[in-house]
Amino acid sequence: MLEVTGFTKAFQGVVALDNVDFSLERGEVHALLGENGAGKSTLINLIAGTFPWTEGSCRIGGRPVASLTPQAARENGIAAVFQEFSLVPDLTVLDNLFLGREQSGGFFLKRRQMRQAAVDLLDDLGFHVPLDEKVAFLSRAQKQMVEIAKALRTRPEVLILDEPTASLTDGEAEKLFSAMAVLKGRGVGIIYVSHRMAEIRKLSDRVTVLRGGKKIGTVATAEISDDDLIEMMVGRPVEQLFPKIEQKPGEVRLEVRNLTTADGSVIDASFVARAGEVVGLAGLVGCGRSELCRAVFGLEAVESGTIRLGDKVVERPSPPAMLAANLCYFPADRGSEGLAVMRPARENATMSALRLPSLAAGPVLKFWRENEVIRAPLTELALRPMAPERRVSAFSGGNQQKVMLARGLMKPFDVYLFDEPTVGIDVGAKADVYNLIKRLVEGGACVVVSTSELPELVNLASRIYVMHEGRVVAELGENERSEQQILSHYFGGKA
Amino acid sequence: MSTPSGTQAAAVRASATSLVAGLRAARLPIAILCTLVLFGLIEPRVLSLGNFRNIAIQASYLAIFAMAQTMVILTRGFDLSLGYTVSLVSVAASMAMVAMGGGDAAILWGLGAGILVAALIGLANGLLIAGIGINPLVTTLGMANVVMAFASTVSDGFPVTGLPPGFTAMFAQASVLSIPVPILVAALVFALLFLTLKATRFGRSLYIIGANPRAAVAAGIRTMPVLVVAYMLCSVLIGLGALLLTARTGSGEPNLGGNLTLEAIAAAVVGGVRLSGGEGGVGAAVLGALFITVLSNGMNLVQIDGYLQQICLGVIIIVSLIVSRDVRR
Repeated sequence: MLEVTGFTKAFQGVVALDNVDFSLERGEVHALLGENGAGKSTLINLIAGTFPWTEGSCRIGGRPVASLTPQAARENGIAAVFQEFSLVPDLTVLDNLFLGREQSGGFFLKRRQMRQAAVDLLDDLGFHVPLDEKVAFLSRAQKQMVEIAKALRTRPEVLILDEPTASLTDGEAEKLFSAMAVLKGRGVGIIYVSHRMAEIRKLSDRVTVLRGGKKIGTVATAEISDDDLIEMMVGRPVEQLFPKIEQKPGEVRLEVRNLTTADGSVIDASFVARAGEVVGLAGLVGCGRSELCRAVFGLEAVESGTIRLGDKVVERPSPPAMLAANLCYFPADRGSEGLAVMRPARENATMSALRLPSLAAGPVLKFWRENEVIRAPLTELALRPMAPERRVSAFSGGNQQKVMLARGLMKPFDVYLFDEPTVGIDVGAKADVYNLIKRLVEGGACVVVSTSELPELVNLASRIYVMHEGRVVAELGENERSEQQILSHYFGGKA
Repeated sequence: MSTPSGTQAAAVRASATSLVAGLRAARLPIAILCTLVLFGLIEPRVLSLGNFRNIAIQASYLAIFAMAQTMVILTRGFDLSLGYTVSLVSVAASMAMVAMGGGDAAILWGLGAGILVAALIGLANGLLIAGIGINPLVTTLGMANVVMAFASTVSDGFPVTGLPPGFTAMFAQASVLSIPVPILVAALVFALLFLTLKATRFGRSLYIIGANPRAAVAAGIRTMPVLVVAYMLCSVLIGLGALLLTARTGSGEPNLGGNLTLEAIAAAVVGGVRLSGGEGGVGAAVLGALFITVLSNGMNLVQIDGYLQQICLGVIIIVSLIVSRDVRR
């Protein structure tokens, strides 16, 4: 039904997609898998006509198509739902559904007919969205539903879904899946972009894996294992995702005793972390492990307790004082607290290093040395693309994370606090983060990782503290740290 | 996007990006030229050398105020007390000069008093906003009221006359190397602030705080002192502009501020300083000031009614906000 061959796209000389073939059968769900920056977005944007391809050819329903614009793609039965919403926030759901395709009889719009058509459309999909609500007041999931309904209004034969479940709850995702099944039954071909292995396995007939703008292969989903898929995606076997870290626990670098925060999110918490080891902080979201890290760094008011860094007790923890005392903290939410996303990567990488001798001479900022200072950290973290002047918001999640992590490499810190270091980043970037942790620990640093990902705890940490309702409820040593062991303490069970 | 010529391609992309950025940066100069030509077609005097000189001098006052606003707009704030600060500085400096005898020796006292008053207003703004955490809108609007009351009370609402003749001669009429003093001062302020923004920790902190205040804190930036200094710097520059304006009028005027608050914010925003912080620079403020001056100069010369001019100004601010929002998508 849809067949593209040799698709190549270059943006101002940079090849984003390199000689990729792709085909879609009638009634097929064809998944596109790849890390951020692999070329998935470029491919679906070419098919949707967002921008023209540099080389290649395209056939739709057997007919060759010389070029595509969004308009031409629509006329050829292609509809796309992208991650960025195209809805107008100030209009109602109904208005948005018919935006630009209002049905009018003479001068007036046929409101009643439009309403009926909208009701039918949403019922068909099993979506419940109030038609007269302004889009601005909808949840992300509801917006997603409206977006999908809008795409389906033109009765497309090819539907492109770009990570549609990213903002949906499980229940909402189920509805989407059943709607997809209905469409599939009608012969609609669906191109499905997702990171989530379980969804790809459940929904798709075939998977095409892209990496670095090139097609790695197309396989029938039923005939390949998850591990093999990941290997295709990242280019190395899954076991190698977690590096083997040589841990040689030395002197105590960070000691927290009976720490209680002013807001009661952390109660009487104690832990120690030594040079040359990774200490894990485990627990449900909201158990207080994030707040514990924040309190140590001085972002959360401390009511009582002591924080000892090296051999010094820190009387009044504050971010500048902790940074000066060689403790580095990476916030969990890079968007809201980690990065100034409208500023270039360069400025974000040096944000916490503006007082280092390499960049500061009194109040003067040695801006002329900045590029030199960030080169090694960004190269080590393999920032892609290596464009320090680009604003951070233009990078993928994994690369935004790398920009933030680069701060930890501006000088040798003694203690690193990572809060959810791999949230929302792809497998390849995760591996890069783990390798960074490995290098830091083997270089003698003390690393504390607070994470909700159990595999990270088990594979990285030598000791694990489990928290529950603000308290540390268990400490698990080298031989007790299995996922089951950790989980058994998640709900407050004592060791 | 791994290609053999990755770095080369990145360089090509970088230069292409800078070309686009260059064109975008040229939007305003183009708009300024178009405006000049358009008014010139209706009224040839617009394009005379004498008028150009006029525009440059007028624009330099507004540019100083726009640059002052830029310092705080970058941090997600603004200073709505600008207009009345101008009035109070004018009155206070004039009264100081008159009290010190009204001779040319009193000029220094006037300058000192004016800058001191401005600095105190800025300090109060900064402490309320950064120290206590009151919204800049509320703080500076309240401050505007307080400052206005002061200006009217101390002057009894009448202009303060009897200023040293040397004051006007030196700060309004004199030229250095045939460049009029107001233009020279504006250029100096520009150079100083440009360097501050680019080459100091304080300057960089302004951008980071404006782009994401929470991230600034988590990166160890001491936001409180930075913000206080930003508001003081803004106020002191306003004071400087007020002194130049006072020299031009030759008396201390309790109503000198007028529409300056709005015009200064408009100039900065039209120039491309992002109203919600984190983006822009003093170059943008200067260009914006030039544009607004060219526009109002043209409207004056073709004799457009004063109120209509105000409407135009308001519309331009709103349009430029909309345009800048689109461009940034």
